[in-house]
Amino acid sequence: MSERVKRLTELAVLTAVALIIFVVELQIPNPFPIPGIKLGLANIITVYAVYHYRAREVAALVAVRLLLGSVLTGNLSALIYSASGAFLCLAGMLLLKRVIDEDHLWMASVFGAVLHNTGQMAVALLMLRTPSLLIYYPFLLVSGCLAGAFTGICAQIVTHRLKGWKR
Amino acid sequence: MKYKILAIIIVVILAAGIIGSVLVLKAPAKSNVRVLSDGKEIYTADLMIAEDTTFDVEYQGHVNTVEIKDHQIRVLSADCPDQTCVHMSWLKSSATPVVCLPHKLIIEYIDASDEVDAVTG
Repeated sequence: MSERVKRLTELAVLTAVALIIFVVELQIPNPFPIPGIKLGLANIITVYAVYHYRAREVAALVAVRLLLGSVLTGNLSALIYSASGAFLCLAGMLLLKRVIDEDHLWMASVFGAVLHNTGQMAVALLMLRTPSLLIYYPFLLVSGCLAGAFTGICAQIVTHRLKGWKR
Repeated sequence: MKYKILAIIIVVILAAGIIGSVLVLKAPAKSNVRVLSDGKEIYTADLMIAEDTTFDVEYQGHVNTVEIKDHQIRVLSADCPDQTCVHMSWLKSSATPVVCLPHKLIIEYIDASDEVDAVTG
């Protein structure tokens, strides 16, 4: 099997797994009904991919997951919020990857989550033109730190488990 | 060393978030509310004197049903998939407006002084 086909297949599998996690998470009731606060379990895959694939490949993975995710939930209007958050998060993590090694992956994940919330907030402010929305930002920061640490730790476990299995 | 600095930054962000959240939650509730759809004010009321009612807010074919009951206001139902605005339940504080992002709907408290003329039953 050629290297290209192998990578493509791996990315496709990761995208599918991320989508499944995304859909399953939708079924978990959210105890904090504030827009923008969620665990974001599907980002476990994103964080893992950032550390194991090229920037282009991760961007494609995230784009496909966001698009299919919004098609599956039928919530296309929410796409702009999730997409802006996701790509700010991705850009930040791809840069942080150069500074933070794999053993401190959870830190990169925390910064990624905070950036995600920041991107979402920026777009929400632009779209709704309501400065009072900023009042949510402190909650988003706290939830970003906690959710980011959680998904980061999960991604570290995944990385550890996959070490023996891959190649 | 590098990681110590990063950890400190994370702790600072978290602390700022927690302090901000506490300040926000302490903000008192008021009695004048307004409903914004796509940035436009479509409904205002003084909850102290408002009678129980429900009304629909339409945005691009989607509907949120807003309910006023016992001097409180909330989104009763919405046809969006995430239902965040419904789960937020009653409007509690001036710091935390009820928001429906997909339908660009906002229910928030306003200062009584600037909107007295606009008050409707």
